[in-house]
Amino acid sequence: MDFRFTEGQQDLIDAAKAFFDGENTIERMRKTVAGEQVSNLWPQFAQLGLLGIMAPESAGGLEQPLVVMAGIAEAAGYAGVSEPYVEIAGITVPHAKKGELSGPIQRAMLSDLRPYIDASLAESGEVVNSIDPLRNLVKAKDGNDENAESANVHGAILTAAQLIGLSQRMVDMSVVYAKDRHQFGKPIGSFQAVKHQLANVYTQIEFTRPIIHLAAIKGGAAVHNAKVAAIDTAMLASETAIQVHGGMGYTYEVDLHLFMKRAWALCGEWGDRNYHMKRLEDYVLNGDAELGPGQTFN
Amino acid sequence: MDIGYTSAQKQFRAEVQEWLGAHAPKTRLPSFDTAEGFELHREWERTLAKDKWGNVNWPVEYGGRGLDLISWLIFEEEYYRADAPLRVSQNGIFLLAPTIMEYGTEAQKARFLPPMASGDEIWAQAWSEPGAGSDMAAIRTKAVRDGDHYIVTGQKTWSSRAVFADWCFALVRTEEGSERHRGLSKLLIPLDSEGLTRRPIAQLDGDPGFAELFFDEVRVPAENLLGPEHGGWGVAMATAGFERGLLLRSPARFQAAAARLVKLYKQHKDRLSSGVGEQVILAWMNTERFCAATYKLVSRVKAGASISSESSANKLFWSEMDRHLHRTAMTIMGAQAELEEGLDTIQNGRWLDGYMFSLAGPIYAGTNEIQRNILAERVLGLPRK
Repeated sequence: MDFRFTEGQQDLIDAAKAFFDGENTIERMRKTVAGEQVSNLWPQFAQLGLLGIMAPESAGGLEQPLVVMAGIAEAAGYAGVSEPYVEIAGITVPHAKKGELSGPIQRAMLSDLRPYIDASLAESGEVVNSIDPLRNLVKAKDGNDENAESANVHGAILTAAQLIGLSQRMVDMSVVYAKDRHQFGKPIGSFQAVKHQLANVYTQIEFTRPIIHLAAIKGGAAVHNAKVAAIDTAMLASETAIQVHGGMGYTYEVDLHLFMKRAWALCGEWGDRNYHMKRLEDYVLNGDAELGPGQTFN
Repeated sequence: MDIGYTSAQKQFRAEVQEWLGAHAPKTRLPSFDTAEGFELHREWERTLAKDKWGNVNWPVEYGGRGLDLISWLIFEEEYYRADAPLRVSQNGIFLLAPTIMEYGTEAQKARFLPPMASGDEIWAQAWSEPGAGSDMAAIRTKAVRDGDHYIVTGQKTWSSRAVFADWCFALVRTEEGSERHRGLSKLLIPLDSEGLTRRPIAQLDGDPGFAELFFDEVRVPAENLLGPEHGGWGVAMATAGFERGLLLRSPARFQAAAARLVKLYKQHKDRLSSGVGEQVILAWMNTERFCAATYKLVSRVKAGASISSESSANKLFWSEMDRHLHRTAMTIMGAQAELEEGLDTIQNGRWLDGYMFSLAGPIYAGTNEIQRNILAERVLGLPRK
């Protein structure tokens, strides 16, 4: 029992994080929103091996477990990466047929739990407009791929991981703002009314990440727990962040909205709160699984 | 990442199960905040100690089994699954013992740990004062050095278990004229010392769970100084880390309560409004999240990390989780929630007790407001002023 990333896994996650933070800057996001041309990250995703994180070694991949992908997805969430990178590397690739892995993969798994997909992953489809200005979506085709059940698990875990990355980003942005913004002759971050709200979000993030990692390794009810906990954490984070930013947070000019809207979008993707809560009703309230101490890791 | 138990750990779990099955009391003991209950719980500590089950993670020479913290978590899981008695020795074994292991001399370890493990000496905490609660650095109780003794004068309060316990670990001002965090020391003091008066305080449930302690020139041998003289704040913060962090509240206790809550829900679901089920699920989810986070923390501690300000997040999470869980039970019990007999013969009155006790969680070990300040300032880096 060692419920930590190994050194090698942590190095991989840190390298991905450094890349996301370095490339997908706020500047790049603003330019994208303004419709300006920005750098194409796909060649770098490929060069850095990020697309093959979960691909088998025989296909040139790193064959890492889902929990490592969750660590990378958290970093992608934090950086606000809008390309469907997590989707490809964490959901499509691990379910792809062997022959498919020799070339570039640009498709999405079909699942009822994910009605809208990135336009670049579909051959066609009716365009829909997301509140998140960085998401270009089309309606997905109806139906489910044969591996949809497994894709749903990957999807729930990886959206949960992105949600806590986004939550942490919103906390960090709020801390920066609260240190800088002065009222009554002091930084507003010195007031307990502000401090305590941010401490609450920090606490929820810290107590959501481990259940996401457990879900990634063990599956089962922990998957639904992880997604619901991540949704509740992300909604608390976004509501707290906008409150701390005050009127500035309500503007399109301050960058907070980009992360807030991404969080709202991902809350509903790969099973919304109702879907996962209903699975938990079946497991906790209507099932006969033994609950209580000693079951979590067994 | 590896989340499997070793075959030795699985074997250990089976041994714990077997022993508890044979030895754990079949009916609940009276509260350890009564004279009778206290002695029955002390007997239970002796029973645990006799077969070396009291402190499995302690070194063998002090009455433990020398096992790691994963084994301790396994023990706790089986312990609460068996519904075994609460630990009357918890202030000693979970708070003072790790502090002694870190700061104590070899002589202090040999003197204090074995009788603590055996239940022969049960410990109370003596930190808070009437004027030093959340602001603990305002401590005024003083200890003046007189040859090979300290002479302690002052008043302590909210001292849990002190009414019936044998010893207390106190935080006192040893340096004359010192202020705030400086000049404090930690002293180990027998509660039957001459000049020490205990005044029981009835808690919310009516039992004297804590006491006020009056020190009137109490002579304490200088060898009972734990850690550096005038350096007691650092020693106390280490203890507070254990209290807020890992040891005092292992996940198993809450997970057992969540499993009981689900049973309670199932018995009464026909008369419950539709939102109650979701609260029950959230209560269960929280205990699982807490368990996963604890295994994460233990894995880090095993690898050499020390627990610092993040123990404040731990304390916030478990205390508010516990209150929510018990509030949900009170909702299910409805009109009968007020009855001390309780709704269910199997659970007789335990939800009401549990709810009252859960209200103390956000207050003791540093109020949750203090924990939020610590997180905001030391983890998030928000300005103090």
